[in-house]
Amino acid sequence: MHVMLCLDDKDGMLFHQRRQSQDRVLRKYMLDLCGAQGLWLNAYSAGQFAEQERAHLRIDEQFLSLAGEGDYCFVEDQQIAPFLEKIETVILFRWNRIYPADQCFDRSLLHCGWTLRETEDFSGFSHAKITKEVYEKCRE
Amino acid sequence: MQRMMKKIVPVLLCIQFLLSGCAMLRPQQTVSLEDIPAYSGEPYVEIDGNVPDFPEEDQVAESFESYAPLDFLGRCGTAYACISTDLMPTEERGSIGQVKPSGWQTVKYDFVDGKYLYNRCHLIGYQLTAENANAENLITGTRYLNVEGMLPFENMVADYIRETGNHVLYRVTPIFEGDNLVASGVQMEALSVEDAGEGICYNVYCYNVQPGVEIDYATGQSREADAAQTDSTEETQEYVLNTGSKKIHLPDCSSVASIGEKNKSYYTGNYEDLLAQGYSLCGNCLGK
Repeated sequence: MHVMLCLDDKDGMLFHQRRQSQDRVLRKYMLDLCGAQGLWLNAYSAGQFAEQERAHLRIDEQFLSLAGEGDYCFVEDQQIAPFLEKIETVILFRWNRIYPADQCFDRSLLHCGWTLRETEDFSGFSHAKITKEVYEKCRE
Repeated sequence: MQRMMKKIVPVLLCIQFLLSGCAMLRPQQTVSLEDIPAYSGEPYVEIDGNVPDFPEEDQVAESFESYAPLDFLGRCGTAYACISTDLMPTEERGSIGQVKPSGWQTVKYDFVDGKYLYNRCHLIGYQLTAENANAENLITGTRYLNVEGMLPFENMVADYIRETGNHVLYRVTPIFEGDNLVASGVQMEALSVEDAGEGICYNVYCYNVQPGVEIDYATGQSREADAAQTDSTEETQEYVLNTGSKKIHLPDCSSVASIGEKNKSYYTGNYEDLLAQGYSLCGNCLGK
């Protein structure tokens, strides 16, 4: 399972039960990454996708439990720690901005047993630079 | 009696006019400082459940902006706008150095980011309404207020509007205690209009403080806080971490009690290592 999250410069995810930010270019990027297998996410995250993109979404509140090997998941409002065993890669998309946050990604999860395999910068629609970081599990 | 009334009534009317006139010239403040907790290391605190108080009739997708006139002490009042892409800047910001907001002082401290204690702090940020050197939109604000307090909230609104093209009702009110020339803080409220707050909804108070500096809000004068409070801790020591806000606290810091168990962890070592991991020092107990 590949898990994708959007973070600000302080690893923030949410403020007042709302996403910190969104970007249409990033949404397309994620859908392109998933290809035909579609993108697992919950109803809250599906809400930011346009009607014509919905055919590529696999919407379920238990999506992190349901997704299997090789599946792509988009996580906005929950912690991934309980699912770490089955996660193959963690893909962070950084806004390169600071927003208010009251729910953050626990970066310490990636301090041990994970390695940064790839980084890439691209321009968003409303964000000058979005940075993609791909972490994968170290081989035993 | 009638002759006496003829003399008294004009005097009473004069007094009433002066009183009401003064009231009109004071900034309208919706928040009482008595209701705001003392600064405890976080740059802002949520107000009224983080829900803003905008009138129904203003929640319309029509852009406007208004800035209260300066009061009799030269202080800013409320800046209020309904912002969309039509109000946002199309060119780089110009100079604002000619404006001297109430309480303005030019003073430097080596440990302040950018060295200058005070910034000319836009109530409504330039990135939102493109107001440049508008004296009714600039207050004397610490670097900490500007960057740690207000900027993240401005960023969130600006990026939301750019992405969606929607409108956001946005109101910033400087809160002055008595006749102080420097605001104690600012109340920031925002609500996205087209989606009824689903995208943007907050009501916060940002503290006009600078960790490590004591400020006289009556005049704007300042001095470095006691060395004991600002001492850098080079030795190994125990710290309490808020993994949510990424703040480092001393174990006896008053803020520790408010950290939820899921966001609390303990660390023994040199805090420089934590800074490298993206943490920052609590302004209350570690004084930076």
